[in-house]
Amino acid sequence: MKLLTLPEQAVVKKDFGEIWSTKMVRNTMILVPVIMAVFLPVLYVAIICFVPSDQINGADQMLKLLPKEAAGYTLQQSMFYVMTNMICPMFFLMIPLMSSSVSAACSFVGEKERSTIETLLLTPMSLKSIFKAKVFGCIFLSAICTAISFVAFSIVISVGDILLQMPFFLNWNWLILIFLLAPAITVFGVVFMVLVSGKSKSYMESIQTSGYIVLPLILLFVGQFTGLFQLNALFLLLAAAVVIAADLLLWLFAARLFTPEKLLK
Amino acid sequence: MAAIHMENLTKTYDGKITALNGLSLDIPQGGIFGFLGPNGAGKTTTVKLLTGLLKPTKGTCTVFDMSPMERPCDVHRICGVMTETARMYGQMTGRQNLQFFAQAAGMDRQEGDQRADELLKSLDLWDARDRKLSEYSTGMAQRLSLARSLVHRPRVLFLDEPTSGLDPESAQTVNAMILSLARNAGVTVFLCTHQLRYAQDLCDAYGILERGNLLAAGDLPTLCKSIGCRITAEFRLAQGQAPKGFQKAGEWWRTEVRSDEEMPGLVRKLIDSGHDLYEARLVRPTLEDVYFQYTQRREVEQ
Repeated sequence: MKLLTLPEQAVVKKDFGEIWSTKMVRNTMILVPVIMAVFLPVLYVAIICFVPSDQINGADQMLKLLPKEAAGYTLQQSMFYVMTNMICPMFFLMIPLMSSSVSAACSFVGEKERSTIETLLLTPMSLKSIFKAKVFGCIFLSAICTAISFVAFSIVISVGDILLQMPFFLNWNWLILIFLLAPAITVFGVVFMVLVSGKSKSYMESIQTSGYIVLPLILLFVGQFTGLFQLNALFLLLAAAVVIAADLLLWLFAARLFTPEKLLK
Repeated sequence: MAAIHMENLTKTYDGKITALNGLSLDIPQGGIFGFLGPNGAGKTTTVKLLTGLLKPTKGTCTVFDMSPMERPCDVHRICGVMTETARMYGQMTGRQNLQFFAQAAGMDRQEGDQRADELLKSLDLWDARDRKLSEYSTGMAQRLSLARSLVHRPRVLFLDEPTSGLDPESAQTVNAMILSLARNAGVTVFLCTHQLRYAQDLCDAYGILERGNLLAAGDLPTLCKSIGCRITAEFRLAQGQAPKGFQKAGEWWRTEVRSDEEMPGLVRKLIDSGHDLYEARLVRPTLEDVYFQYTQRREVEQ
């Protein structure tokens, strides 16, 4: 059985073209991964490798947060461990979240703003089919973006591992993050935007609203540095379960709101 | 079986604004039905209700016995809709737009490409096929929109002001296509317009809508009869002559007649009574005359 029918494939293809031809969306989908997965990690690696450790502000506090498995690392190695396992996961999660919400904003709200949604609703495709094609298109695009970002990130961190003579960075935390949490966050970004699309009148307005969904990530970031909790495999697994449950609920809710009367309001 | 059936169809927005008030109408298969009324009369709301984009507050409607609320996909499969609010994709070329809508209608790639090319040629858009829609003029975009509504060979065509913003040549192309579809392919055309002269040239029957209320429906002779619009016989006579029982309108003298058959008798009567007759003509009421009679009567009643 095919995942998508021919008309659904046509919608996905059309959405890809539309998202890519929207300058702001294209820039976001390129810049966010470049900054989060390449620029910031490279900057941190450079600071750790080339700036004397005693000149790094707050290094001592950061090292206090180190888990047991990092015992025996040098100061530089410990700093790199903190960066790879505590800072970068938060930065990295911004990529699926931003790419999915921005592409969904373009696909759903943009279509509404340009008055093309009415034309699409007049085709013999069912509402369910249009919804499925649009959601899948955004998820697929965001997944490609996340996958490419992860490859680039892995290269940068591997170089750091080699320079600092550390074991390969990939651990259970990262595996859960990549295979569970990032896909769950991608779906969350899309369905959240579908919900917002009913109320947003313009694409820019919906992008601004999407700013709220970044808040939980910032709280996670702040939380672990205040010592409230620590990002470990169990915590990430739990977070993934919560997001997946939220995805299911929001999906059902969003699909119900995807009606011509709501969309053409 | 009527192609389009509406019974007590009512649409109220937020329980306050009544866009359509108890519309009951049957439109037979084939032919062009002109749905007339000023802006805001409820024409577009009717089209949206008939195509399932809006839910009626009260009443029912069907297209070839299918309810747009219950079977929207089946209704869309046999309906082509062209409205001012249903736009196409600006970043795609004219050809890509048609190919996309052909595929969305379930055609395979090859069939969709063929149909797109066929429509681009017949609507004089072939030379602009590879230009982005955002670069099209209003007239070209309008014609492409018509092509889009025809891409899946519909049995019913809903057209909302199809020639507004078109230059005379483009309008002629569009009109020729609408006529050919109705006469040769048996397509039922539901044409919403406020351009009365245009409607008279194209339509077989009419419905007059005002503020959500259907004032009258039928072909022109029926509408004329029910409102009391008659044919007038007009005569140009020698200066200074004033026949009895005639009214003066410019340099013409006129009187109402029941049918064409009264004309020879009137001519004979004028000549026999010694008038010098220079010209004689029968003036039939236009759709514009009928339309304004109905709207004026409505105002008086209110």
